[in-house]
Amino acid sequence: MAWRLYALDVSRLEGMAGEAFSGATVWEEGYPASFQPLEEPWEARRADPVPWPEPLYFVDGRERVEAVLSDGRKLALLGCVAAGAVVYQQGNMRLLETRVRRVGVGLEEALRLGELVYEPLPLEGHPAPGDIFTALQEGLRKARTLLEEKLARALAGGLLVVDGPVRLRRQGPVLGYIKVHWARYLPEDREALLSTLKPGERTPMFRVRRKGQELASWYLRLPLTPEGVRPPESGLLRVETPLQGDFGALADLSLSLFPALASHPVKDPRAPQNLLPVGGLERELARRMGSREVVARILARHQDDLGGG
Amino acid sequence: MERIGVVLGRREATPLEFWVGVEGEGLLRLDDLVVVEGFHPKVGKVRYFGMVDHVAKAHEGESYDTDTFLAVEGKIPVSLAYVAHVSVTRIVPEEFFPPDPGSAVYLAREEDLELALYYDAMKNQRGSTKLPVGFLKSGEVAYLNLEFLNGVKGGHVNISGISGVAAKTSYATFLLKSLLESGVLEEAHQARVLLFNVKGEDLLFLDKPNLRLSEEAKEEYRRLGLSPTPFGSVRFLAPPKKEGEGVLPDVETRLEGVKAYHWDLVQFAQKGLLPFLFTDKGALTNLGFLVAHVTEKLRRLAEGQKGPHLLVADWPEGELPEDIAFDDLGRVRLKSFADLVRYLEYKLLGPETGEGEGDRAWTARQARGTLEAFVRRLRASVENVGHLVRGDRKGNPPDPLEGGEQVHVVDLAKLSPQGQMFVVGSLLSDLFAKKERGQYRGRVFVVLDELNKYAPRDEESPIKDVLLDIAERGRSLGVILIGAQQTASEVERRVVGNAAIRVVGRLDAAEAERPEYRYLPTSFRQRALILPQGMVILHQPEIPVPLLVRFPFPAWATKREEVLEDNSAEALRREFF
Repeated sequence: MAWRLYALDVSRLEGMAGEAFSGATVWEEGYPASFQPLEEPWEARRADPVPWPEPLYFVDGRERVEAVLSDGRKLALLGCVAAGAVVYQQGNMRLLETRVRRVGVGLEEALRLGELVYEPLPLEGHPAPGDIFTALQEGLRKARTLLEEKLARALAGGLLVVDGPVRLRRQGPVLGYIKVHWARYLPEDREALLSTLKPGERTPMFRVRRKGQELASWYLRLPLTPEGVRPPESGLLRVETPLQGDFGALADLSLSLFPALASHPVKDPRAPQNLLPVGGLERELARRMGSREVVARILARHQDDLGGG
Repeated sequence: MERIGVVLGRREATPLEFWVGVEGEGLLRLDDLVVVEGFHPKVGKVRYFGMVDHVAKAHEGESYDTDTFLAVEGKIPVSLAYVAHVSVTRIVPEEFFPPDPGSAVYLAREEDLELALYYDAMKNQRGSTKLPVGFLKSGEVAYLNLEFLNGVKGGHVNISGISGVAAKTSYATFLLKSLLESGVLEEAHQARVLLFNVKGEDLLFLDKPNLRLSEEAKEEYRRLGLSPTPFGSVRFLAPPKKEGEGVLPDVETRLEGVKAYHWDLVQFAQKGLLPFLFTDKGALTNLGFLVAHVTEKLRRLAEGQKGPHLLVADWPEGELPEDIAFDDLGRVRLKSFADLVRYLEYKLLGPETGEGEGDRAWTARQARGTLEAFVRRLRASVENVGHLVRGDRKGNPPDPLEGGEQVHVVDLAKLSPQGQMFVVGSLLSDLFAKKERGQYRGRVFVVLDELNKYAPRDEESPIKDVLLDIAERGRSLGVILIGAQQTASEVERRVVGNAAIRVVGRLDAAEAERPEYRYLPTSFRQRALILPQGMVILHQPEIPVPLLVRFPFPAWATKREEVLEDNSAEALRREFF
């Protein structure tokens, strides 16, 4: 059985990571019957500024598909995942640690191509032929989440902020923030509040249940300069935290934290939701994953080695 | 060896220059010397020595300039990049392939430093030729190869720099101190120095200890292998006062130990010094011819005479002396320069009364206009040099090759420009002629400031001819010119071009851009604008990069207030008994 290179230019396969969506509005598990506000009344809330807790960690990850292999019957995906953490301490934002792994989803044994080594990551289950790409990407995403989790476990104390939903298990407070809103959490009559939120304001908290996890969540509005035409959800961030400890205080803290870290549209196409430290971290991770062009050329040059396995 | 960083791979590394990323707490400054080891299987180990000529810091991870504000507020993570550009000074062995990015970079110290700056090559059959010339930024002693200064492989020094920041004169005197006392120059005791004091009375205290010399400065002299003492053997000469009886030196701050110098008329005529009164001979070619002719006539006239006065036989207007000697019968004594001028006027234009004609033997068939121009200029110079060329007492012109003193300081400060020209021209031509005839074995160092005045780029003058002669031939005859000027661009190219050692103090911004300073890398030209006191940039032929050199505070007084009075019992006893 010999692998051969199926596709190198896989840019069209990318960009699917993040919250899953299937084209239409995604309904949150149990919506709308189970909508449970945690605060009353349903109106915009403000909070006095509070100092940021220290240490304050940000963890984020990146994934990249580098090639798709085929042996005639099966597909395998070569990808790179990276995760990193930055810490805010004594007025400084400092890069803490980055980890980069190359994985081959669907491979049974490690694959060495030139100086690149892909660790095998068997494909889970038996996806239908039509879903094979999605399953491969799911595998890559899982590898990334694992890496992020490993990294987050090593961070002691303080508050952890993660990009995306709270999926990491951790002792101590965690905040997850969601930049893009495919899923709907609010009944229509409550959703009206979102468009009236002013920068620095948030909605009351409400309960979210996901895969057996109990979470408190709220929307907050980031400061966004008024120029240009924007959809109503621009500048809206959904934040969640496990429903434990003093989650109310975290909600108020989020109003001091996220607006201050919002990025500017001039510098970041994903502004303001893509937070400044996370943007910096992502750039750093991209760098540590190596130049995609160089990787593609190494793969192309060493494709003869593929047959060895 | 202290590891300081690595060769960068993001920027090109070449055999002649590369970039270094500085690690952690490392400190790399301009002028620091570094060494890198390279390896190639076919060549083996190669070591690159270089000097840092550019250092920079930047935030990596910032895409916009305003990201710095965010980084300061702690909102984005950035890393600090500290990089340095290194110009390679030497590769050992000479295999010109580039170092590998990622190679460790070390600070060059001790033996490495010596290799980096070619100190190991500074020697001849008889020993080391490392002349200490100051300190590098790192505090190590800087050397230059004496063979490029004493005439063996090259000679002459040229110093540029604006006034008032203690660069030109101070550095020239420091260099002399090192030359005479470091023991590197062979037979230093035979070397003679002719030092022109052109401004103030700065150089009239070379033999006095400096009151302000600190202990640290003394230590610095010791580290250079010199004693923190003033010059030991100095003779001071100043022009006489214009008015008053006798010949008293015209100095204000230094009251003892200065002798007045002047020429007597016979010396003036015999040595052919007349042309040095005509500094614009190029302006009129006929005039130049006439000057040469009259000079020759005067030389013949003075033949066999002893002076100080000049005797002439054919001048009805002069007074006959009372105490006339038998030999002098029928001859008139010229007792002053004014007399000489009047005599020449008579010889060239005829009697003052009426439209007479000059002596054909003297006029050399020149048109009356030329003769009149000559006389006019000569008359105008009476005021300027009348006290320097006299007939009333035996001449005593400075002669650095005579007497026991090693350093001869000749003061020009109070003289008119014409007087200064005359003295410099006369002394240099006399000195050069003596060396040409082989009258003195040792080397002679001539220190002359304001070269742009004496050897201007655009004009001709007899002094420029002498200076050109020294610049071009002096090296082989053992006459070394240590010239200085504010702007090298205004000095005759051949004079500057012949200097093997170039020194630059602080420069004017426009001046630094002129082609005369192209030998300096850009970074050094920029730094020449902000050089502090006591620092110079030194360029020597063997080392491909200039060195920034700090030299110690003068151990000799540079003005009256700095003179350390010796009030010990011993000194007072010497003074009074």
